[in-house]
Amino acid sequence: MNKGAELIRGAGLIKRFGGIVANDTVEFAVVEGDLVGLIGPNGSGKTTLINMLTGHLVPDGGRVVVRGREMRDQPAHVYAAMGVARTFQLTQLFGRMTVLENLLVPGLTRPRSKWQAVVRRARNTLDFLNLAHLEQLHAKNLSGGQQKLLELGRCLMLEPAILFLDEPFAGVHPHLRDELIKRIQELHEAGRTFVIVDHDMESILRVSQRLVVMARGAKIADGSPAEIRADQAVLAAYAGL
Amino acid sequence: MRGLHVYILLAAAALALVFADQLTSYWMHVAIIAMFYGILASSWSLLAGYAGLFSLGHMAFASIGGYASGLLVQWYGIPIPVGMAAGVALCCALGGLIGWVCLRMSGPYLAIFTLGFAEIVRITFATEDDITSGMAGLHVERLFDTPSRLPYFYTAFALLAVSLLLMGGIVRSRWGLFLRAIREDEQAASASGVAVARFRILVFAIASGFAGLAGGFYGHYLGILTPSLGGLDLMAVLVVMTVIGGIERLPTAVGGAFAVEFLLEVLRGDDQWRLPLFGIVLLLTMRFARNGLLTPVWLQFVRLGEARAAATMASRDVPQKDPGR
Repeated sequence: MNKGAELIRGAGLIKRFGGIVANDTVEFAVVEGDLVGLIGPNGSGKTTLINMLTGHLVPDGGRVVVRGREMRDQPAHVYAAMGVARTFQLTQLFGRMTVLENLLVPGLTRPRSKWQAVVRRARNTLDFLNLAHLEQLHAKNLSGGQQKLLELGRCLMLEPAILFLDEPFAGVHPHLRDELIKRIQELHEAGRTFVIVDHDMESILRVSQRLVVMARGAKIADGSPAEIRADQAVLAAYAGL
Repeated sequence: MRGLHVYILLAAAALALVFADQLTSYWMHVAIIAMFYGILASSWSLLAGYAGLFSLGHMAFASIGGYASGLLVQWYGIPIPVGMAAGVALCCALGGLIGWVCLRMSGPYLAIFTLGFAEIVRITFATEDDITSGMAGLHVERLFDTPSRLPYFYTAFALLAVSLLLMGGIVRSRWGLFLRAIREDEQAASASGVAVARFRILVFAIASGFAGLAGGFYGHYLGILTPSLGGLDLMAVLVVMTVIGGIERLPTAVGGAFAVEFLLEVLRGDDQWRLPLFGIVLLLTMRFARNGLLTPVWLQFVRLGEARAAATMASRDVPQKDPGR
C-alpha cells in the first residue's frame, strides 16, 4: 500500500505522574496507510502515549499534531471529530445500552448525520463484525471477544482516519482473536490506518508492517518486524537487562 | 403510527380533564401537588437517571424559581407568566453554572457539592428577612383570582404535559442517546465524539429550568413560599418518588411522584409510620427492583401496542428508538 500524508505526530511528548516519568520526550508519527505495532514491557508508557495522542491526557511537554493541526489541550471529542478513534485497554462500552445504540452514539456525533442513515450504517458494521444477531442485546451481556469487536465497530462508526487499538487481543478467545485480526487486515487493505498496542507478540507480528518499541517511558526502536527482532536494545529491554 | 399505549394515555388524560371538576377541593389539591412533583421527578430523572448526575440540589432550583418569580412580580408588577419565565431563565443560567463548576465531579462528590449548594440557598432565603421574609414566608401573588382550584389543576396539567413532551423529545433524540452514553462511561463517550462537558452543562441547565418552572407554579398556586421548599426533606421525598417509580424513564418517575403523593395522603392517619414506611419501600426497591417498581408495569403497558408500531417501523426501515422512554 502506498504511504500517504502524515496523520498524527507526537513531538517531544513528556508525561509525569508524581515522580514517575511515564513518557520522556517521545517522538511518534504515523502516516496514512501505516499499520504500526506499539510494543514494550509493562509500564513502558505505551498506553500513556496513546492517551496523549487521542486527547485523553494532556502532555506535560511536547505537542500533538493531527492532520497538520496543532492540538493545544483539545478534549478527546475534538480528536474523534478529526478522525482519531481509539479502543481502551479494559473494554469501555456503554454497558446498559444495546449493541446497536453503542454504534449509534459515535455515528450520530458526525456532522449532518441523519438518524436513519446512521442506523443503516451501524447495521452494516454489525454485519461486518458478525454481531448483527446481537443488536438488541445490552452490551454488558456480550462475551469479552464480542465486546472487543463492538468497540472496534464503535471506532469505525466515526469514519476514522486512524484507529488506536489498545490491547485488542487481550483475554480474547483464539477463534475471536483470529476474527479480529482478519477484520483489522480487511480494514487496513481498504485504506484504514492502525496503531495497535498489545503483548500478544504472535498477533502483533502477524498484522504489523512497522513496530515501535518502548521501554521505561522512551522509544527505543522503530522499524520493520525483521529489524526489531535483530535489535539488541529491544532484546535487552525484554530480557530486563 | 403510535403505539396503543399512547392512545390509552391520551384517553386517560382527556378523562382526567373532563372529570376534574368532580374531585373534592382536597383531592384536587393533592392532584395539583402530585403534578408539581411530577415535573420535578421527571426533570430529576433526566439529570440523575439519564445523564447519571446525582444532584441533590434540584429542590433548591425549584425554590430559586419560585422566589425569583414571586419577587419579580412583587417588585416590578410584571405579569405572573413573565415572572415564571424569568425564574426559569435564572434557574437555567444557575444550573448551567453549577454544571460547569461540577464538570469533573460525579457520584458522591457531586451529591455532596449540590447538597452544599442547596443548603446555601435555603439558609440565604431563611436569613435575608428584608427580601424574602425569612421563615415567616414570602407572600406571592396567586395565579388566578378565584377560590376554585380547577384553573390551577388545568394549569398544572398543561405544565406537566408540556414538560413531558419537551423532555420526551430530548430523551428520544440523539441528545438522549448522548446523555445515556455519558452516564455509562464519560471517557468512552468522549472517545466516541460526544462533547461531554457541553452536554453535562446543558442537561444541568435544562433540568434546573424545569425545576424552576415547577417552583414558580408552586409559589403562585399556594400564595406563599418558605425556605423549606429547597430543603433536604423535600429533596428526600423527591428522591423516594423518582427511585420508587423508576429513575431511568420519565413516565415511571412521574408515576412514582403520583403514587407516593397519593399514598402519603391516604396514610396521613398513620402519621408516625407513613414516612418510615416509604423508607422501607425505598430500601426494598433498591435491593430487589433497582429500575423502580413501576418500570416493569410501564414496559408491559408499552408492549400493548409495540407489535403494531414495530411492524410499521420495520416497513419504513425506521430506527428502533426505545418506545419505553
